Amino acid sequence: MNGLKHIWKKVSLKQYILYTSLLLCFTASIIFVNHNYSFYDHPIAEVIETNIVDQTEKNDIYNNQDYLFTQHIIATLKNGEDKGQLIHLKNQYSSSGAYDQAYKVGNKLFVSINTDTQEHTYLTGTIDDVKRDMYVVFTAWVFIFILLIVGKKQGFTSIITLVINAVLLSYALDIYLHTSNISLLLICSISAILFTVISLLFVNGFNEKTYAAIVATLLGTFLSLLITYFVMVITSENGLRYEGMPFLTEHPQMLFLAGILVGSLGAVMDVAITMSSSIFSLYEKNPAISIKALKESGLAIGRDIMGTMTNILFFVYISGSIPMLLLYFKNNSPLGPTLSFHLSIEMARALAGGIGIVLTIPLGLYAAIYFINKKRARL
Amino acid sequence: MNALFVLAVILFILMILVGGKKGARSFIAIFLNFSVLFLTILFMLDPQVNPIILTLVACAVISCINLFYVNEVNIKTKTALAATVISTSILLLFIFVIVKNAMIHGFGREEIEEVPLYTLYIGVDFVKVATSVIIMSTIGAIIDIAISITSPMREIYTHHPTISRKDLFASGMSIGRDILGTSTNTLFFAFFGGYLTLLIWFKELSYSLGEIVNSKIFSAEMITILCAGIGVTLVIPITSWITAFYLVRNREKKEDLKT
Repeated sequence: MNGLKHIWKKVSLKQYILYTSLLLCFTASIIFVNHNYSFYDHPIAEVIETNIVDQTEKNDIYNNQDYLFTQHIIATLKNGEDKGQLIHLKNQYSSSGAYDQAYKVGNKLFVSINTDTQEHTYLTGTIDDVKRDMYVVFTAWVFIFILLIVGKKQGFTSIITLVINAVLLSYALDIYLHTSNISLLLICSISAILFTVISLLFVNGFNEKTYAAIVATLLGTFLSLLITYFVMVITSENGLRYEGMPFLTEHPQMLFLAGILVGSLGAVMDVAITMSSSIFSLYEKNPAISIKALKESGLAIGRDIMGTMTNILFFVYISGSIPMLLLYFKNNSPLGPTLSFHLSIEMARALAGGIGIVLTIPLGLYAAIYFINKKRARL
Repeated sequence: MNALFVLAVILFILMILVGGKKGARSFIAIFLNFSVLFLTILFMLDPQVNPIILTLVACAVISCINLFYVNEVNIKTKTALAATVISTSILLLFIFVIVKNAMIHGFGREEIEEVPLYTLYIGVDFVKVATSVIIMSTIGAIIDIAISITSPMREIYTHHPTISRKDLFASGMSIGRDILGTSTNTLFFAFFGGYLTLLIWFKELSYSLGEIVNSKIFSAEMITILCAGIGVTLVIPITSWITAFYLVRNREKKEDLKT
């Protein structure tokens, strides 16, 4: 009894320390991002007064109606040599806000200060961008807190896994950019193996279940990549509009394939671990279960998840194109060419990911059965 | 031959081979989903329509397709639908506030350089559109979690018909916790795969950390990823609570009828 009490005390103390340090980190980082002006070389100004000085209606040849406003802004500089001085700025924005926004009192803006303002008693300048770091940090904290409150220990492990994967990816891309002769696909393949091993071991620990999932994930992803590559060769990439990919630099094919590899990896891992843990739990409940029964239940589970898993990828890839499609359609672009220009790559990615997901169902099933057979042979 | 067509045919054949009839239905559901998404975009072109309300309706329709058409109409899918709609409504509010304050709507400077010929004043409210985009990209994952929790909860309830609401809720939470890690992983890799070109592009131009974090495009993508993660996490307690409430209320109703 005493021992139990002791353990309870220890655990709660540990949790207490964890929560306090989290709260401290939260407060410190929020204070930091709201007062980190001196870390920026770019002048930052905080809006203290706004006036709308002009308002016009705007109609174009496609019958789009919009309103344009001109805002006069007074702001105080927060860093640099002119810290504390007032600066007068002008902002033009539309009510739709495709590429502009209204500013309110309290907004923090990156500005350029005009150098030839000797005749005024105040500074003038132009607005370059909005300071957004505090919102990114704030959302990140909301994410961390919700994950910890709902997920508890599992939430904590998933945060750690995500951070490790993000750092690994960033590091892999650095290697790619600094060594010109290694292909991106090779780097992403090596990272994919690392991602899989780290994520699955972290979440499920060292056991046969995890090994089966790792084998199935790697086979599934690389097989779907191979199929996609094969399709690209036999159709001579007909219908794939690489020029519709945003921020393209060079080697579009390579980027496309690497994107498929990384993008479908998470979904394939999810399918693989679902398959192997459900088959292993069937086996653990009834060690005498026949292989045929395992196959049947395995396929039934696979059937239930393949649709929703493929959907996840579809929505992630295609939704991002909505704003661009709206802009093109509103400018009277023809339907078909616009869709194929903006969606062909995203659709191909989603389809390739779907192929990986469906392939992983039998692969996961047989990998789990293989490890179960090995376990049985040992007994 | 068109590469997309060949890929779609391969996916269709594989889905039928592995999933039989249900596989065929899953494949059709993907194209129904795409049609709903496309219709939503067409409706958004009308400046009179509020994109947020439109998104809520679209999410409900998409959930119906994936829950009722691929599975069937029963207590599991009904509670999953209720959970999806409630979660998306809450999320929409949160995301709208974040998008409006962080000003991540519309296009970034880097994107706009690619479309110099177009008029940008098209009358559509881009703050609301940006909110819709984030919800739409997460809806697939939200539905997935909702159904993954209601199904086993229903099983638990069938095996232990006298279970209390609190215990049922707790078991739902524990199921949710087990799938939380893989679901966030799925989303994160999917987003990273899509942002790969962007990440390389930022690294190649050697932007400073400050420039990257504050740029509209990067912060928009970070906030999208984080909101998606928040979304799939929030669905867990909401679904568990609704399912527990619904199942236990049904039982109490039946007991009332008996007495």
